[in-house]
Amino acid sequence: MSASFKAHHLLGIKDLHLDDIQLIFQTADNFKEVINRPIKKVPSLRDVTIVNLFFENSTRTRISFELAEKRLSADVLNFSASASSVSKGETLVDTVKNILAMKVDMVVMRHPMAGASMFLSRHIHAQIINAGDGTHEHPTQALLDAYSIREKTGSLKNVKVVIVGDILHSRVALSNILLLQRLGAKVMVCGPLTLIPKYIEELGVKVETDIRKALQWCDVANMLRIQMERQDIRYFPTLREYILQYGVSKQLLETVNKKIIIMHPGPINRGVEITSDVADSNQSIILDQVENGVAIRMAVLYLLAGKKATA
Amino acid sequence: MVDIHIRKGVIQKISKTITPASCGADVKVISKDGLHVSIGWFDMAARFCDPGFEYKEDLITGAAAAAAGGFTGVLVMPDTFPVVQTKADVEYILNKSKNLPVEVHVAGALTQSLDGKDLAELYDMKQAGAVAFTNSKKPVTDAGQMLRSLIYARNCDSIILSHPNDYSLSGKLLMNESVNSVLYGMKGSPSIAEEVMLQRDLMLNAYSQSRIHFLTLSASGSVALIKEAKKKSEGVSAGIAAHQLWFTDESVGSYDSNFKVNPPFRTEVDKLDLIKGLKNDVIDVICSDHTPQDTESKDVEYESAKHGIIGLETAFACAWTVTRKQLTIEQLIEKISVNPRNILNLEVPAIEEGKKANLTLFRPDEEWKFEEKHIRSKSKNSPFINQVFTGRPVAIITGNDFITSD
Repeated sequence: MSASFKAHHLLGIKDLHLDDIQLIFQTADNFKEVINRPIKKVPSLRDVTIVNLFFENSTRTRISFELAEKRLSADVLNFSASASSVSKGETLVDTVKNILAMKVDMVVMRHPMAGASMFLSRHIHAQIINAGDGTHEHPTQALLDAYSIREKTGSLKNVKVVIVGDILHSRVALSNILLLQRLGAKVMVCGPLTLIPKYIEELGVKVETDIRKALQWCDVANMLRIQMERQDIRYFPTLREYILQYGVSKQLLETVNKKIIIMHPGPINRGVEITSDVADSNQSIILDQVENGVAIRMAVLYLLAGKKATA
Repeated sequence: MVDIHIRKGVIQKISKTITPASCGADVKVISKDGLHVSIGWFDMAARFCDPGFEYKEDLITGAAAAAAGGFTGVLVMPDTFPVVQTKADVEYILNKSKNLPVEVHVAGALTQSLDGKDLAELYDMKQAGAVAFTNSKKPVTDAGQMLRSLIYARNCDSIILSHPNDYSLSGKLLMNESVNSVLYGMKGSPSIAEEVMLQRDLMLNAYSQSRIHFLTLSASGSVALIKEAKKKSEGVSAGIAAHQLWFTDESVGSYDSNFKVNPPFRTEVDKLDLIKGLKNDVIDVICSDHTPQDTESKDVEYESAKHGIIGLETAFACAWTVTRKQLTIEQLIEKISVNPRNILNLEVPAIEEGKKANLTLFRPDEEWKFEEKHIRSKSKNSPFINQVFTGRPVAIITGNDFITSD
């Protein structure tokens, strides 16, 4: 690898250097080739111990990280809040310091509060990968999304991406906006205005409330999951009315005279954000996203671990 | 340039030509370049956390912090445990602070347990010495209850101190709503959360012909509302916390909980309007909003952290560093000494021969760095540690007590 990775942690897209992004993509290209071999494992992170700290429920992100770690031959420790001493009142810093005292090298953390990984980075020396912090950032998801688009379009320059749904409670949306713009794409958000932050246009994104117009405009539609569990108050009357306005069906897609790429960070509520015939159509790259997720996470882990060796 | 001779806590003589020899043998001379003297400063919103949260602050450490900040008097808020809501609670604080070098005045709870539902015994607390009533940071949400509170306070010839915030609009008050709240991934609290309730309180106050003071306004819109209200009523006054002049919501990006305050830090525009409000006397008072928090309440994830920062030791330096191009030193001192006492109907000390000494010594031009070692508060939750300021409190003299800041 000629260029060197600059970041010490992956806390968010916000503080990620453009060179680092390119390096992650190049490295992911290599790993994608690796995981399609008959023997999918490489010894790159032998002797590196990684803890997956999940203070919030997650299935696919945790599995994706765990698989990435195992494919790199790292030793993996899984920690989830429900089975932990967090419920006994131990602080985040104490929990992590206790784990690190057992000689763990890297931390992958999901946490329900914005900024939790940045807060942790002030207290520990181990590398931290933010696997989602509240409604703030989810950098590896954005990296795998951009990587998946790039795979289809060649470049992100001037690609038009609309992010549809609950923007207000979404960490995927913010990380995606920041990364796509950095790579030259144009970004629009679409959804009920109650789920769109008032000042989001100041980030340089367009706001559209009509899904038909949004689909006419875009090359790629990233359909966010409607996260009922993140909404402490009601932002739209019923799920039925949401689907009426923002659900994407095959029928709706056919009114647009181009082939839009359909993405979804998962897990899909079939029949809510998108209908089954859209999810399973050849326009959908949802399963490519899942596959690329492992390659991207391998790349991030590998590059950050390399940083450790030279530090 | 004048000299002041104080003996046994009383100002003996004010003259240009006092020599140590003329004062007697045991005289202590305080003389520094650029040393200014004013009547003792007064802080209108401090928390000494006593009783109940003595691990954060107590009356002695709180008074020490006030003295270090140049304050000879403070008003303490009722959000202790138990809440200050009976005459016994008022008397406890007054008795326990009687011999402290700093005058401690008490604001009693407006409603029982600060729950906003039932009035506390305002008359009885007033007889015991409470000088104002407030629900502190738990605003009375029920407009009818707030109206009855204002009317009843007028009945007791008392002023109500309000922190307007509509929680149904503000949410958890994590930070101000702006493009920065989008970037930092938190639900922002819009200025209208403050302005809507401020407007309500102003209307209720006009209707009840009572007196109301707003302790810590933060938004441009609030300054405009106060300006209008003052044209119609003399029963309205307003204050801000000194730190609102310094920070904006951009600082929250570090997720350092010493930037988590209530009301939240707003934008550059709001900051400039607060300064303009001070200049035009729309804003009458600058307070510290001193809120000590222990490490366990602060050194945690930003969203879990408690609100508030300590401020007594930095209030003057912060306010003067920011405003010294816009305000005269006299204007600023008025907002931390004369105005708060007038609003609370307290006697304003005077620098006159024969009066008891109640003085603050300070150097408006001194550049200094505020360091952790300067903190006399029991808690260290300040975003100003290692900040360089212009203007420094030097000492207070209250009767026989002489307390220096360094």
